[in-house]
Amino acid sequence: MNLRIVDRGAFSWALVQIRPGESFVSESGAMFRASSNIDIDVTTRSKSTGGLLSGVRRMFAGESFFFSTYSCTDREEGEVGLAPTLQGQIASIPCDGVAGWVCAGGSYLGSTGGLNIDTEFQGLRGVFSGESLSFLNVTGAGTLLVNAFGSIEEVNVTDELTVDTGHVVAFQDSLSYTLGKAGGSWIQSFLAGEGLVLKFQGHGKLLVQSHNPDEFGKTLGPLLPERQS
Amino acid sequence: MEFRIDGNPDYGQIRVELRPGDRIVAEGGSMAWMSAGTDVKIRLLGGLFKALIRRLLANESLFVAEYSHPGIGSVTFSPATPGSVAHRRLEGDSFILTAGSYMASTPGIKLKTRFGGLRSLFSGEGAFLIECSGTGDLFFNAYGALVEKEIEGSLTVDTGYVVAWEPGISYSIRGMGNLKSTILSGEGLAMNFSGSGKVFLQTRTMGGIAGWLSPFCSG
Repeated sequence: MNLRIVDRGAFSWALVQIRPGESFVSESGAMFRASSNIDIDVTTRSKSTGGLLSGVRRMFAGESFFFSTYSCTDREEGEVGLAPTLQGQIASIPCDGVAGWVCAGGSYLGSTGGLNIDTEFQGLRGVFSGESLSFLNVTGAGTLLVNAFGSIEEVNVTDELTVDTGHVVAFQDSLSYTLGKAGGSWIQSFLAGEGLVLKFQGHGKLLVQSHNPDEFGKTLGPLLPERQS
Repeated sequence: MEFRIDGNPDYGQIRVELRPGDRIVAEGGSMAWMSAGTDVKIRLLGGLFKALIRRLLANESLFVAEYSHPGIGSVTFSPATPGSVAHRRLEGDSFILTAGSYMASTPGIKLKTRFGGLRSLFSGEGAFLIECSGTGDLFFNAYGALVEKEIEGSLTVDTGYVVAWEPGISYSIRGMGNLKSTILSGEGLAMNFSGSGKVFLQTRTMGGIAGWLSPFCSG
């Protein structure tokens, strides 16, 4: 398999070349082109994770219910082009099978077939804050593709770092974290429009994005017409 | 206090290094990440009554948060919209920002909110202006690129594109052309600047993107 990130910058996309016998998984809807010998299998679960139930869990976590799995239908190499929804950078994360990664739900773009993707649900606090807080646990060996709103920066956490949840892209599971507020009381924090933060501790890599999709949405939302339901 | 602006022109951000005694005030919600142990205090800009009025009339909150660190720490701030971030040093002079353009400032800068006049309510943009004065560092942001324009005589700008201007400039709000062309052209209200000094403009507007998206929202 060959993964290439094309047009780095505001409008990057990824080209995945799949050889016969290999498979690649992406967030459903991310594929914008595929060669004719590519078979797309849309499932409620990723390879080796548990069935319909985990699909339902993903639905509650605010994530798309489905993942797409791509493989070749013949003995030729095939290719798939992936494009994220928001404008921004794509990064590829090599997973060595030893250290696992945690990927923010909205940042997951795709992964090679050997990686296991499992949904972690963050509980009610995330729901009440109006922010989508869902994480995917990524284990196994392979390559993980993540996308961002804006640019991506890799931070080597050696002690502690506080990150607004809207800026978290992915992190190594050697880092532990607690969910909290940036400062002040809960009421002050809410009034000030400060989002929830994750307080990371330990040693490990953390990828952050320059811009917060929720903040952009909150600025744009009030200018749009009322939803007709 | 040391600072750095990264990511311009597409994804501007401010990175501030805090030493003991340093403080920086920033728009609520703009903190992206920060060192552990950073002290955060939430403050209302201009008192409760003014904030309530702003909330009711213009759906703006203008809460600010003040950041400091007992040791050495850093805080990164991001605007809500992609675009450029700029720095301006004030030395006892002043500078006027439209409400959505304010990002951060050092405590020596006094922030005063000012009602932009009733007519600006109809422009679909922030109705409040922030008058910044004093001595210190001020940071502001634009949606898109930031255009610096020196005024000689006068200049007409669609209100949605105005980010900031220097105090030597006065403005009036009016329609672009006559009423008929204002309605038919899709141009919003315009600000007519006159005097001498600089006006700072942005190249995209939230009103513009929202207007484009709106027809797709029904359903």
